[in-house]
Amino acid sequence: MNFQKSLSFFSLFEIATPNVISILIYFCVIRFNINPSNTVLFFLGLIHDIINGENLGTTTIFLLLFKYFTKIMLYEKFNKVNQEEWIFFTLIFIFSFTIVLLLNIVINFSIPELSPTFFHIGITLILFPIINIGINFFSFVTQFIKS
Amino acid sequence: MVSGKPSKIKSFKSDKNFNYILVLLCLTLVFLGKLDLIAVRNVKAFLSDFLAPVTYALNKPVKEIAGVFEDVKSAGSLREENVRLKSEVRKLRVINSKASSQELELLELRELLKVLPERKNQIITGRAITAPGGVFANTLLINAGKNYGIKIGQPAISSLGLVGYVVNVGLKTSRILLIIDINSMIPVYLTNSNWPAVVQGQNGKLLKIKFLSSKAVPIEGEVIQTSGHGARLPSGINVGKVVKSFSGKFYVKPTVDFHRLTYISIITNKTSLPVLTKTFQDFAPLQKPDSSLSLKGLNLSGKRIFESPED
Repeated sequence: MNFQKSLSFFSLFEIATPNVISILIYFCVIRFNINPSNTVLFFLGLIHDIINGENLGTTTIFLLLFKYFTKIMLYEKFNKVNQEEWIFFTLIFIFSFTIVLLLNIVINFSIPELSPTFFHIGITLILFPIINIGINFFSFVTQFIKS
Repeated sequence: MVSGKPSKIKSFKSDKNFNYILVLLCLTLVFLGKLDLIAVRNVKAFLSDFLAPVTYALNKPVKEIAGVFEDVKSAGSLREENVRLKSEVRKLRVINSKASSQELELLELRELLKVLPERKNQIITGRAITAPGGVFANTLLINAGKNYGIKIGQPAISSLGLVGYVVNVGLKTSRILLIIDINSMIPVYLTNSNWPAVVQGQNGKLLKIKFLSSKAVPIEGEVIQTSGHGARLPSGINVGKVVKSFSGKFYVKPTVDFHRLTYISIITNKTSLPVLTKTFQDFAPLQKPDSSLSLKGLNLSGKRIFESPED
């Protein structure tokens, strides 16, 4: 969470930082079969909100919704082919993020500038396949060393 | 494998119910947080104090790496940068010589007119602990709090202009709401025409101009400064410059680069509360004229000062 926030020190992420935590949750649930507990996500979100000064609970709602949609996808077996991972991640991320964005608009009673929002979504979706390739490469190297 | 499947689905369903409960709890938290209850604020301040050293320690390596990248990037353009800086120094020398003569003239005129001396601001400077920016909130945490006399509402500035104002204070840390945040509204005036307005953040790079008279014509590049209306912020602090969008609408571009902020100063002798409690006994839509509150753009009787563009 803190790493995600500190990425804004890089000039590339000045407008908005990518949502690294959602990528990690997705891979944990889909790839590594690790189920992050709701309580952990709840406190993780609260800590993120306290550090960033956001409205208490907004990040938690995002994380819980994201995990919930990912699990639905896993149990309903929408994702039968591995190549469709990116498309499903895109759908889940955009859907969860839109709910939280609408909630923020209702709370603040004002529509924010949309360019940082689009940048946040875009950079997260670009980063997803890069991290995916990184994980694949890492698992390939470990398997290669083992064999 | 097959026998484990129904139990997995069962656990998913119980997990789903727990998920709903947590989401409802979070929604309650969101609305409680928006009510700005003192208890919630105190808990937030305490936790910010508690987490600040950890945040600082975790941010440090990333900040250093980002610094190295920036240095490498700027090394490629050192020659151009040097030429630009040399020409800037030449320009500034000319401006400096003009300014020193004008300063003497101003002092003499002040003496002749018996102008009340302005109260000097007391400043506390702290280091930014967290990085600014975010999709939903734009705040900063600095490493100075109640222990240095910082209070809620005090303005935060940098050498370039207004950064924001303090919204929460802990014992050792303070949270600053940046002017680019959607919840920030700053009373300002256009320095060329003296028209008062309010600038609101949009969680982006530009600020929206609100409550500006339809008669006012902003000029591109016009400097915007705090007006001091409402006595929350002191007058005359640089906020930004007017820019025109493609659609023809005017916005304000802040002078401060929020991503390069390392040190932030808090003006500790400026709080809104004493003025409000002293002056207003009943509902008062307009502020009573007070000679100590130098409101830019308005004279003592509350009328707008017109200045010709030649001045």
